[in-house]
Amino acid sequence: MSGARPGDVSGDGTSGGGAPATYPSTSEERRGVRMRIAHLTGWLRRLDWLSRCGLFCLLVLVLAALGSMVNLGGDPAEIAGGRLQPPGPDHWLGTDNLGRSLLPRLLEGIGVTLLLSSIAVLVTAVLSTALGIVAGYLGGMVNNLVMRVVELLYAFPSIVLAILVAAVVGPGRPAAMAAIVLVTIPLMTRLVRTASTSVAQRDYVTSAVVSGVRLPRILIRHVLPNVAGTIAVQGTYALSVGILVEGGLSFLGFGVQPPQASLGVLIQEGGVYMVAAPWLIITPGVVLILAILSINVVGDGLRDRLEPRETRSLR
Amino acid sequence: MTNHDGTRDGAHLRAHSGAAGNSSPVLELDEVTVTFSSGLFRREHVHAMRGVSLRVEPGETLGLVGESGSGKTTASMVALGLRRPSSGAVRFEGAPLPRRRRELAGRMQVVLQHPQWSLDPRMWIGHSVAEPLVALGHSQPGDAVRAMLEEVGLEPSFADRYPHELSGGQRQRVAVARALITRPRFIVFDEAVSALDVSVQAQILNLITDLQAEFGFSALFISHDLGAVRYVAHRIAVMRHGEVVETADTETFYTTPVHEYSRQLLEAL
Amino acid sequence: MTPLMEADDLAVDYQAPGRRVRALDGVDLTVARGETVGIVGESGSGKSTLGSAIGRLLSQNAQLSHGALTIDGESLFDLSAVQMRRVRREKLGFVFQDPIGSLDPTKRVGAQLRLALRGRGASLDVTGQLERVRLADPRRIARAYPHQLSGGMAQRVAIAMAMATEPELLVADEPTAALDSQVRDDVSTMIFALAAEAGTSILWLSHDLAAVGRRCGRVAVMYGGRVVEDGPASEVLARPAHPYTHALANSAPASAAPGERLQPVPGRPPVLTGPSPGCAFADRCGFAIERCRSERPRPVRIKAQSVLCHRAEELAGSAALAVHGVGSAVATTPPVPLGGDRS
Repeated sequence: MSGARPGDVSGDGTSGGGAPATYPSTSEERRGVRMRIAHLTGWLRRLDWLSRCGLFCLLVLVLAALGSMVNLGGDPAEIAGGRLQPPGPDHWLGTDNLGRSLLPRLLEGIGVTLLLSSIAVLVTAVLSTALGIVAGYLGGMVNNLVMRVVELLYAFPSIVLAILVAAVVGPGRPAAMAAIVLVTIPLMTRLVRTASTSVAQRDYVTSAVVSGVRLPRILIRHVLPNVAGTIAVQGTYALSVGILVEGGLSFLGFGVQPPQASLGVLIQEGGVYMVAAPWLIITPGVVLILAILSINVVGDGLRDRLEPRETRSLR
Repeated sequence: MTNHDGTRDGAHLRAHSGAAGNSSPVLELDEVTVTFSSGLFRREHVHAMRGVSLRVEPGETLGLVGESGSGKTTASMVALGLRRPSSGAVRFEGAPLPRRRRELAGRMQVVLQHPQWSLDPRMWIGHSVAEPLVALGHSQPGDAVRAMLEEVGLEPSFADRYPHELSGGQRQRVAVARALITRPRFIVFDEAVSALDVSVQAQILNLITDLQAEFGFSALFISHDLGAVRYVAHRIAVMRHGEVVETADTETFYTTPVHEYSRQLLEAL
Repeated sequence: MTPLMEADDLAVDYQAPGRRVRALDGVDLTVARGETVGIVGESGSGKSTLGSAIGRLLSQNAQLSHGALTIDGESLFDLSAVQMRRVRREKLGFVFQDPIGSLDPTKRVGAQLRLALRGRGASLDVTGQLERVRLADPRRIARAYPHQLSGGMAQRVAIAMAMATEPELLVADEPTAALDSQVRDDVSTMIFALAAEAGTSILWLSHDLAAVGRRCGRVAVMYGGRVVEDGPASEVLARPAHPYTHALANSAPASAAPGERLQPVPGRPPVLTGPSPGCAFADRCGFAIERCRSERPRPVRIKAQSVLCHRAEELAGSAALAVHGVGSAVATTPPVPLGGDRS
């Protein structure tokens, strides 16, 4: 009986066929990539319905962001109609206090927020992975040093930290990005470190050390692939935190600066006319909540796929 | 206590002893003590090993029996050069262990306990087996890998599989193949069969003895199971509370070990 | 009189995404009052599933396929949750492999024990209960948290909790596997003594045939989710009637005489995805014939044993299943290797 696990679709194609003469060869590497893609699609199929809904929402948001680049729904800066008009056939989401149509501005805002948060989270992921893996694998002084710095960052309330950064760098997109990075780094580094520590103790790492495999190779070939799941899951959570931080910072005026739109900017502007034109705050607010929720749900689904926990209960 | 008698050693080597003309032990632990300290304020010192002397002759398997906490895992870490002793000396092939672990690469290998973690789950079997050769700078280890897989009783096509497609016994075979691929002088088997099913254990134990006859490596076989140790080892050392309480030929452990604790272990079989 | 525990053609599947694994494939087993039964099997043989099924403690993805399991005449799978709790409380006791993990890490030992005793009609004498399991300083242990105890102490506490109500059946799933060998012996002796005193039957699950044989009156050997051999311990150990039992006894390294080569069982234990069409051991068996692969064996009686093997009667007549090294009764018999099963 083969020991193929559920969730693995790569097993079938591997065993048959003649063995190539050299090992490893490029054709095998290419097949490896194909198998990884097959892995990924296999996962997507096995996500639960909630995660799929989340993924669908996220996809719609990304498409909307892409649409804003080709001015789908109009030019966001154009004064298209009367001021504070409610949603209607001309302006599906109404207009703001300057008479700009909300729809194109919302699309632009989604794009700016997502792009900004994604770039920041990417930076976080790279830094946290490097720090976490090195600290977790080496332990000792390096670990202590990294963890103390990270804990120091962790001790600051995130929005205070963000404002502090904005005060130093000056308000604007760089400030928002730096703030997101600083806010998300501690948690992610800690979790990558924990995962790396346990990988470092596994037998295949000990065998590699005994065989004389060099440190960088151990970190890249053994530790990194085995903490990749943690990185992916934490990355999605960091993304939702990033969106929240951007929203908060821009709302307070330290982040993205008008006239450019972001979800935070739109909510801030909408807040002024909350009573007269509630659609101005409700629409971007709902989109913000939806974005954060769907990202979290996708993260949960990923986690369940990557780190399954057995449920044992009394039936 | 017979842990200081070096005189009886050497006489029990099998004919296939790999190092002709080289009579010095492959590995020698001389009065090794390892101390762990714990506690932040009131430093407590725990002796994981206390004055342990062991020697592994060329072509010989030394069995090391002991329960969890007896210090046998620390002993394997010391033998592999992964932990420095607090005092005492470790000599490999007559010379002190080098400061840099990499200088031993390829000459000393290890097979560890957990079949589920012995191989990187995200690496092909072929890559795992090739790893020690790649670390030594070989660039085309493919043929060697396939030949080695056949040596341990697996089909060469296993090179293209992932660990989760293999059973526990097959994974331990792969771990043995990986250890042997550099033709090391010395291999540590640390609880290498303990996690396997009873009906599969014997397959791996036979594999180890067969390969030793073929390749002539020396081995340190560590286990809590006297039955398994007795089956593969030429001499046996019994560890308890960080000390070696008895060292004797394997035959002794079928009949009348001297130390009371060894007798307990024998009775428990 | 109804047997205390009876499994009748019990089959349990685990449903994992994309596939189904059969853990129990028609188990027939009875335990009479006061009996001590050892269940021997390797990982995947289904012994732990059987143990959990007796308390209806199976994980959520487990499904009863067919068959019945009764305790004292009550069919477990027909009981409501409330009734099941009553059966667990009044009739069953469990001891598991990991003693520290089976205790609540956040509660002191004494408090946990008191909680276990309350509502079971047992006396609330915590120190008395701890003394019964021969713990040296019961007062100090009652104040301790589980992580402060050694494995042996924690297992004694777990035994005290399981035995406090003098259950009718104690299911012990490898209770000494995680303990050191000196402690191991003490703990098993104590469990059997307490059980004998209270009239409790024991179902002892283990992978170690020889160890089980020393303690239990009866041994049932499981393979591929079925009980393949069942009989008095001394008989099963000394004169196994099923080729698997024989192979198991002969593949244990401790059974080999000095210089003798072990005869390993080729291949590995099966993972069933549905009912086995024939004998689950057929692929690894040196005596297998065509019939073994196509027809499910039915129990046959060989002397005192009940055996699931088509060729059991034939083999019983020959010397093919002689055991060496285990049991003094057969020490004089020359070892006969299993023929034709080399891989």
